[in-house]
Amino acid sequence: MARMTSPERMGAVMMGEKPDRIPVVPFILGYAAQITGVSIGDLYADGDKCFEAMFNSMRLHGYEQTPMYGYASLGPWEFGGEVMFPYGKGHSAPSVTKHPVMSIEDIENLEVPTFEKELPGGFKEADKVAKRCVAMGMPATIQTGSTFTASSVVAETSLFLKWIFKEPKAVHMLLDKVSDMFVNALEYFAETYGPEHCMPFDGGPVEANTILSPKQFKEFAYPYMEKLHKKIKELGMPAVLMHPCADQNMNIPYYVELRKKLNWEGRYFWLFGPETPIQDQIDNFGDHDIICGNVDPPSIQYKSYEDVVRLCKENIEAGKDSPNGFVLAPGCEFPPLAPPIKVMAMMDAAEKYGRYD
Amino acid sequence: MDKETLFKKLAAAVIDGDEDETARLAQEALDTGIDPYDAIMQGCNKGMAEVSDKYEAKEMFVPEILLSADAMYAAIDILRPHLKVDDTVAKPATVIIGVAQGDIHDIGKNLVKMMLDVAGFNIIDVGRDVPVETFVEKAIEHNAKLVAISALMTTSMMNMEPVIEGLKEKHSGAKTIVGGAPISQDFADSIGAAGYGKDAVAAVRVAKKLTEA
Repeated sequence: MARMTSPERMGAVMMGEKPDRIPVVPFILGYAAQITGVSIGDLYADGDKCFEAMFNSMRLHGYEQTPMYGYASLGPWEFGGEVMFPYGKGHSAPSVTKHPVMSIEDIENLEVPTFEKELPGGFKEADKVAKRCVAMGMPATIQTGSTFTASSVVAETSLFLKWIFKEPKAVHMLLDKVSDMFVNALEYFAETYGPEHCMPFDGGPVEANTILSPKQFKEFAYPYMEKLHKKIKELGMPAVLMHPCADQNMNIPYYVELRKKLNWEGRYFWLFGPETPIQDQIDNFGDHDIICGNVDPPSIQYKSYEDVVRLCKENIEAGKDSPNGFVLAPGCEFPPLAPPIKVMAMMDAAEKYGRYD
Repeated sequence: MDKETLFKKLAAAVIDGDEDETARLAQEALDTGIDPYDAIMQGCNKGMAEVSDKYEAKEMFVPEILLSADAMYAAIDILRPHLKVDDTVAKPATVIIGVAQGDIHDIGKNLVKMMLDVAGFNIIDVGRDVPVETFVEKAIEHNAKLVAISALMTTSMMNMEPVIEGLKEKHSGAKTIVGGAPISQDFADSIGAAGYGKDAVAAVRVAKKLTEA
């Protein structure tokens, strides 16, 4: 098979066809700053710098991931709180310094951000990245979830988790308002760039079963995920990058239910944490969707090049023949401070063990 | 109510996360002359130990644990001022606990802190996003036996090893235990940590082992 370009490779996987080799989407965010001489703080504070760092990192390494903007604590800034950008030692993503919700009354008074004039908080920076991506024929990857994780930082997190029992109605009110913000975002990006150019990103760590029970997931996370995905389907977006972060094995039945209930023609990219075996992902989603790898990010950070190649090889062997395609990826963000040779390890493993010809 | 019944009810109220009930029972213990130390150990701590078991068995999750912790402290806040000081009893080991530099995620650290507190350790919480030097200085200042460091990010986990190195150099009497989402036994071994806690319950087990040795 002739060697494909990166867009051809991703295009083939999206169309359900076999590419020359598995694509590599290393889920790079902060690393792109480190490798291109931009500070991680600037990467998140300035969408143009984010685009340039990610685009240049993509060119440098030749992987298939296109530029994107997002972070786990999205939500508070957009609702009028404050975040701190990661300029400090060891900081790797924006963190919340002022939660807009500290009481039930705050939830009642919370106003859903609109996208009619100036875009709220991080969406302004995400828009800069989206604009430049679409102008160059790449998808606009936009963070539109998870509603549960975003709500858990819009409110002070411990309070939010305790309100699940003490104030469930208020928690639902907050979740509804946060999901409305994501609906507004979806409508804005679809209208501005065309739904066919949009790739929503949905995922978060607070739904992990080290924190939340599957029963709590069903009651508090699932309904708002369904609401957003119905919107995505209605708008006609072709694919969604799903990242059930960390150990969400007990939540898998609800993700399966989402898939079934929506009966959506579009494709999900499933990027689970390292805790979820690739075979389980194939069994649950492989008949329709694209399975991503889940190489352990801390291992990428501190293990040797040879060890990372071996871990990638194991991932590839487990997922390569998934019926609707496989993409090599880590189980969460690529470690921002990892040396470049670790990206090379992923690329080398894909070339050596991930070819279809 | 006899004291055994009160202890059982106190433990049950901790498990249920009912802070009004634990506060009421704590006051009742004092009013009826029950030793506050016994009420803490036989009531609150037994309840929290069961919460730990239920978390390990995936029968309870973090929202419930946070409510149980509130309920336990509602009782302890009432009982603690009435504890009798016994100079003949050995002082508990001091643990410095904090989140590694670069990291502001402290729910995990707070759970470990609470569990260590229940297990009888003297806890010095140095907070989150803690510089390497602060861990070392506080360990020296409080003559700590153990330093517990949490990290949730692959960036902040890289700030654990310098703490261990600093302690080896300046306060070798302290051992180190590490934990958090990206941490594994393998990583803990690679940076020379004395212990690794995969969750709050395991952290207490390891802390006890390390401080008894």
